[in-house]
Amino acid sequence: MNSPQQLAEVLTSLRIGNQSYLLSFYEQNRDLFARWARRQHQLTPVAAHELLRTVLVKFYDQVADGRLTKLPPDVRAYVYGLADEQIRSAHTTEILPKDEAGRRQRLLRLFRQLGLDCQKMLMYFYFRGYNFEKVAGKMGFANANVARLQKAACLRKLYELRMRTEDAGR
Amino acid sequence: MTPPSFDLRPYLEELERFADGQMTPAEQAAFETRLEQDATLYQAYQAYEQLTADLRWVAGHETLHQRLVSLDRRLDQRQEALTRIRRRQRKTQQQWGAVVVVGVLALLAIWMVLRPAMPTPEATWARYYVPEAGLSDTVVNESRRPLLAEAMRQYRDGHYAPALHTLRRVPASNLGQDTLLYYSGILLLSQEEPEQFRAAQPFLRRVAMQSTSPLAGRARYHLGMAYWRNQQITAARNTLRAVANDARNPYQDAARQLLRSEALPQE
Repeated sequence: MNSPQQLAEVLTSLRIGNQSYLLSFYEQNRDLFARWARRQHQLTPVAAHELLRTVLVKFYDQVADGRLTKLPPDVRAYVYGLADEQIRSAHTTEILPKDEAGRRQRLLRLFRQLGLDCQKMLMYFYFRGYNFEKVAGKMGFANANVARLQKAACLRKLYELRMRTEDAGR
Repeated sequence: MTPPSFDLRPYLEELERFADGQMTPAEQAAFETRLEQDATLYQAYQAYEQLTADLRWVAGHETLHQRLVSLDRRLDQRQEALTRIRRRQRKTQQQWGAVVVVGVLALLAIWMVLRPAMPTPEATWARYYVPEAGLSDTVVNESRRPLLAEAMRQYRDGHYAPALHTLRRVPASNLGQDTLLYYSGILLLSQEEPEQFRAAQPFLRRVAMQSTSPLAGRARYHLGMAYWRNQQITAARNTLRAVANDARNPYQDAARQLLRSEALPQE
């Protein structure tokens, strides 16, 4: 995946939610990255793997929300650079103040408070774009209507969590 | 904290049905008309759109995060399995290595126990050397040659050095020159020291070269044996071959037997 055309295709497929490039990148580079992180930053393999996952998600976010419009010619060097940056910021700065945290990051934190079934359901519907019938099949529900009701309940739960957090913050 | 957002809860169900395409055509048309006319509903619709856009971002982020975690777990399991397999292979190799080493050691021990014992030079000598019988009492005639009789007695009893000493005291007029040389050689050859074997050779050689002497053939045999005992293999083989080819030599069979054996190495 090195020619400019292929890199452009990667970017397009990431934008439409095809994450397989990043998954295979992780699979191929995990051990190599862990060795680099041990030499450069004295990280254990487990910590290095976690760092690489974080960095890849960050990379994906940059593509998904349009901050990255051109895939760097050397993706590996770019990812290592992001990892360096991540470690430096972890070493030198405190956690960002609440006011500065983005709306999406807050929603992400609330999303993680939902039950696993709700998370899965909302990911199927809002990210993978499955219809209610397919969601019902994946989740083991009797029919599409049950899936619709469950999705509505999960969305309401998330929204109420957000309202509660905002009320508590006021 | 951010300013209070619009409370969607009263509108949520209706907005969801609209956004998810669950309304009938008539319901949808009515809803679209209300959206244009009802500013609060429109505000709720905007807030709902922002919420679902944010949720799509969150869902994508979280999907990737969870897929990476799950992939990581699978890779860990695969690595553990590979390590386990490699460890098992190493263990099997070590076990086989130990079996081979033990087997080799056992074979070595069996060979050490069962290998044929190498005959000692003394044993080989005793096997192939036919000693001189010595002069008989009749020939010696003790009353006439008491010292010769004494020397022969000491020779038969295995006292070779005293026998040689006694033999040297026998007057030359009492005994033929070839006989004296021959028995001097025999008595030296019968002793244990390498110097004595070497010293025996000139005596035996002189007799062997006297073709007229009846002791010449016998002396040749003992000379050949003296060479052999002194590790002069070529000389020993040539001399003994001459004995083996001599039909009149009393040691012909003994010489042939030694030449045929492996005790006398090939040239």
